[in-house]
Amino acid sequence: MRIIARGLAANAMRNPEPDSPVLSIGGRPPGADPGAPITRLFESLRPDLLRFAHWLARDRALAEDIVQESLLRAWRYRDALKDPAAARPWLLTIVRREHARMYERKRLELVPLEDVADSCADPRAADTEDDLFVLRHGIMRLPLEYREPLVLQVLGGFSTEEIAQELKLSSTAVLTRLFRARNKLRVLCGMGGVAEVAEAQAGAP
Amino acid sequence: MNCEHARLLIGADPRSSSPELAAHLDSCPACTQLREEMLAFETRIEKALQQPPDLARVKPRRAAPQWREWALAASVLLGMAALLGVWLLRPSDTLARDLVSHVQHEPDSWLAAQQVSAQGIGAALHGAGVALDVDSDKITYAQSCWFHGHYVPHLVVQTAQGPATVLILRHEQVPGARSFHEAGLNGVIVPAAAGRGSIAVLAHGGGVEAVAREMQQDVRWLPEPP
Repeated sequence: MRIIARGLAANAMRNPEPDSPVLSIGGRPPGADPGAPITRLFESLRPDLLRFAHWLARDRALAEDIVQESLLRAWRYRDALKDPAAARPWLLTIVRREHARMYERKRLELVPLEDVADSCADPRAADTEDDLFVLRHGIMRLPLEYREPLVLQVLGGFSTEEIAQELKLSSTAVLTRLFRARNKLRVLCGMGGVAEVAEAQAGAP
Repeated sequence: MNCEHARLLIGADPRSSSPELAAHLDSCPACTQLREEMLAFETRIEKALQQPPDLARVKPRRAAPQWREWALAASVLLGMAALLGVWLLRPSDTLARDLVSHVQHEPDSWLAAQQVSAQGIGAALHGAGVALDVDSDKITYAQSCWFHGHYVPHLVVQTAQGPATVLILRHEQVPGARSFHEAGLNGVIVPAAAGRGSIAVLAHGGGVEAVAREMQQDVRWLPEPP
């Protein structure tokens, strides 16, 4: 795991049951204890979860729904979280699965990419901010099969093996998808693709 | 490890390090250069992922060029002008078409060979409040017909080029002479010299303009009957 969860009190989970942190999204109900450790823990991770969900769902409102559902689920199974230090990858995994479940439950209205991102018009001439702008939209343009492992790896800090386990793929398949994801971004950003021959060796899934 | 495998690993995870990859990089400047490039790119990817695209900033709606607004306005004006033109022309077009239709419904009028008596001509004209200074021996057909809500004189005048139908239209105003050709008939509608109304002349042959000019001189309006 490349990114380590933020420091937590060792006895965080030994506190009595706090109020559901999910409720904090839409306003805290009377009697809720905002100071409860798990509430603070979940709340502190919420921006990360939302960012992660946003990259997966490509829609802010949908991402908020996913995070809310995920936090509800996490709250329900909070006893499964034995090590608070693992809360971040645990919650990110829940968010990813909730995102996948939403796609299974209903056919989501896809965000038209034309409305989300303009093409990478002459990115080489762009300044740093524009360069990031182009790259962000390039990532958004990636198909989910490439975007998901990339976001899991870079934003979630998951290793290739962990991603493979989560996505139920072989490690080689994950490597190939990660390679292709970056390769596509390079091409989108005018850098040219790394020789595709490397992919052939790994074998596409 | 060969270059292909090294590139796959570098492309899939630029920050990964393994003894095999490190050994390969020590001996391969090309893969080392690729890794440095990918590491720099990775920094940008990490930075980009920290903030999803601000959708509000995305795809700014560019203001339509000024020429497009002008083109739109011109199109609207052109369309309105076309509609106005159609509307303005509509009475004349309709008038010509109705005249032809009326004549076609009285084919016997062309066959008449005998001149109509002055009394018969007078009867056809009187109901429409028209007087005509013309030699009666040229008129072989004279009827008072219901046309566009009024009784109008319907005459057939014999000319050197054959019979010509004349309808004297006291209630139809035309801005100027207008010729038409429809259903094998040549026609002309001219304003009456009396300052109002018009005269239509239709014939299978030519000479309608000459008949119309003659009629312009000959038609006089009488006080309109009640």
